[in-house]
Amino acid sequence: MKRKSARKAKPSSSRSGGKKRGKKIANKAAPPLSHSPPPAQDWEDALVAASARALGLTIDPAWLAGVKFNLQLIFRHAALVDEFVLPDDAEPAPVFHA
Amino acid sequence: MLDRPATDNGPPTAAAIAGAVAAGQLSAQSVVEAALSRISERDPVLNSFTAVTEQRALTRAQALDQARARGEPLGPLAGVPFAVKNLFDIAGIPTVAGSKINREAPPAARDAALIERLERAGAVLVGALNMGEYAYDFTGENVHDGASHNPHDIERMTGGSSGGSGSAVGGALVPLALGSDTNGSIRVPSSLCGIFGLKPTYGRLSRARTFPFVASLDHLGPFARSAHDLALAYDAMQGFDPDDPACVDRPAEPVTPELARGAEGLRVAVAAGYFKCRSGEACCAIDRVAAALGANRDIDLPQAERARAAAFIITATEGASLHLDRLRRRAGDFDPAVRDRLLAGAMAPAALVDKAQKFRRWYRDQVLKLFDDVDAILAPATPCTAPLIGQKTFMHGDVELPVRANLGLYTQPISFIGLPVAAVPVPLEPLPIGVQIIAAPWREDVTLRLAHALETKGVVAAMRPPV
Repeated sequence: MKRKSARKAKPSSSRSGGKKRGKKIANKAAPPLSHSPPPAQDWEDALVAASARALGLTIDPAWLAGVKFNLQLIFRHAALVDEFVLPDDAEPAPVFHA
Repeated sequence: MLDRPATDNGPPTAAAIAGAVAAGQLSAQSVVEAALSRISERDPVLNSFTAVTEQRALTRAQALDQARARGEPLGPLAGVPFAVKNLFDIAGIPTVAGSKINREAPPAARDAALIERLERAGAVLVGALNMGEYAYDFTGENVHDGASHNPHDIERMTGGSSGGSGSAVGGALVPLALGSDTNGSIRVPSSLCGIFGLKPTYGRLSRARTFPFVASLDHLGPFARSAHDLALAYDAMQGFDPDDPACVDRPAEPVTPELARGAEGLRVAVAAGYFKCRSGEACCAIDRVAAALGANRDIDLPQAERARAAAFIITATEGASLHLDRLRRRAGDFDPAVRDRLLAGAMAPAALVDKAQKFRRWYRDQVLKLFDDVDAILAPATPCTAPLIGQKTFMHGDVELPVRANLGLYTQPISFIGLPVAAVPVPLEPLPIGVQIIAAPWREDVTLRLAHALETKGVVAAMRPPV
C-alpha cells in the first residue's frame, strides 16, 4: 500500500487536558525544566517494582531514590514530546539518516 | 573576562610534525618518544590515559622511519602521535568503555576502523583514554578510573564523556585524539578543555569495532589543537565501511584543500531562542565569533527544547536496552550514577520512545529547511566554563540544573538529527569555552572552513595549558 505523504504537524484534539481542535500548540515554547523533582508518588514505586519484576532486574533499596529521580526526569522530558501532536501518518526515524 | 594572547608558541601541530617527519627533519621515533615522555611526566596529574601502548608505538615509529629511509612516501599524518577514547578496539587490549565490567572482556582481535585509517595515513597510536562509563556522561568523571582533569585548572572537569580525549589534547600530551559523540561528548570536552573538535554528519565516519552506546545517535570524530589538524585527521578517516551498518556509501570529500577558501561567500546566523546564552562566558564567546564572521542575523531552530527532550528519552531507553543483561547480572558493578539512569531508562514505556522517534523526523525536516537561507549556524557548545570536579549543579540563567545531565543541553538538539558540527575554542581567562559551528548534512567543509577562518583571525585558539 502506498503511504500518504507526511502532512504538517497538527494541533492537539483529543488529549485529556481538553485542548480544542485547531488550538495551535505546535509552536508553543516548551516550559523550562527545573532541577527539583516532583514529590514521589506511589505509582512510581509501583512502576519501578513492576518493571523490575517484568524485566528481571533487581533494585537494591539503596538505589530506589536514584532510579525514581531519573524516571521522573524521563517522564518530564517525555511530556514535552508527548504534548507535541504529530499526524497519524508521521514516520519514526529509528535508523536515522541525515 | 580577559583575553589570552592571540598567539603563543604552543606545542607543534600534527601538520607541523608530519611535515618535519616527511622532510627528514625529525624522526618518527623521536616524536613518539617525546610524546611518551610527556605522558609519563604529566598524565599522573591529568589522568587522561588508561593504557599506554608504548611498545606498539615505538615499533610503528621505527617502521615509518625505515620506510622513509627506503624512499617510500609517507602519509599526511606521518609520525603524528594520537590516542583514542577507550571504547575504540585496540588489538590485544580489552575494550573497557570506561567500565569495570568490560575489563573482563577478551582482548580485541583487531583495531577499530578509524585507528586503522589514521595509521594508514602515518599516525602512531600511543594509547587509550579515560572516559565516562559507557559514554553516559557529560562530566569526564569516572568512578573506576578517577576523573580526567582539565589542563587549564586541574580542580575542574574536562567534560565528557570523551574526557580523556579533551584532557590529552588540551594538555598537549598528543596533538590528536579520537572520541565519540552521542549527545555532545566531543563538543562538551572540546569546549571545557579549549580545543577543536569535529562531530561529523551521522553516518560519515565508520564506527566499526567500537563499543556502542545509542546506535541511532552515536558518532565518532577527532579532537585537535587546530582546525587544519582536524581536517587532516577527518580526511584520513573518511570513506565507506560496510562493517558499520550506519556508514553511508558516499565518496570521500576531502576538506583540507578547501580550508584556504575561508568564510568567503558563507552565510552565517546565530541560533536564538533555546540556544540563547545565559552566562557571561558563553555570551562573550558567541559574540566574538559572530562578529568575526559577520553573523548579524538570528535564526530559530523550531522546538529545540523538545528535540533535546526526545534525544534524552531515546538515549535513556536505547542505552538501557544495550545494557539490560549487564543490569540484570552486574548492576552493582556499574558507576552508580550511570546505573540509576540506565535502570530508569529500562522502565520507560515504549510508546514514549516511539513518539520521540517520530518527533525526530519532524524536527529534522524543519531544521533542514533553515539551510535554504544559511550555510552555518552558531550556538554555544556548553552553557558554562568547566565546573569543579564533583560539582553537582550549575546555574543556567536563574535555573539550577544538574551538571551531569545538562552540560550538553546545547549540543543534544544538534546531534539528535546528525548535523556536522565543529566546536571551536574561544580563549577566555581564566577558562576557555567553545562555540558550535553547525552546518547542513555532509557539509563538514563549511564547519571547518569557518573554524580555520576564525583561527586565522586569532578569534579562536587552543592555548598552551599551564599544566
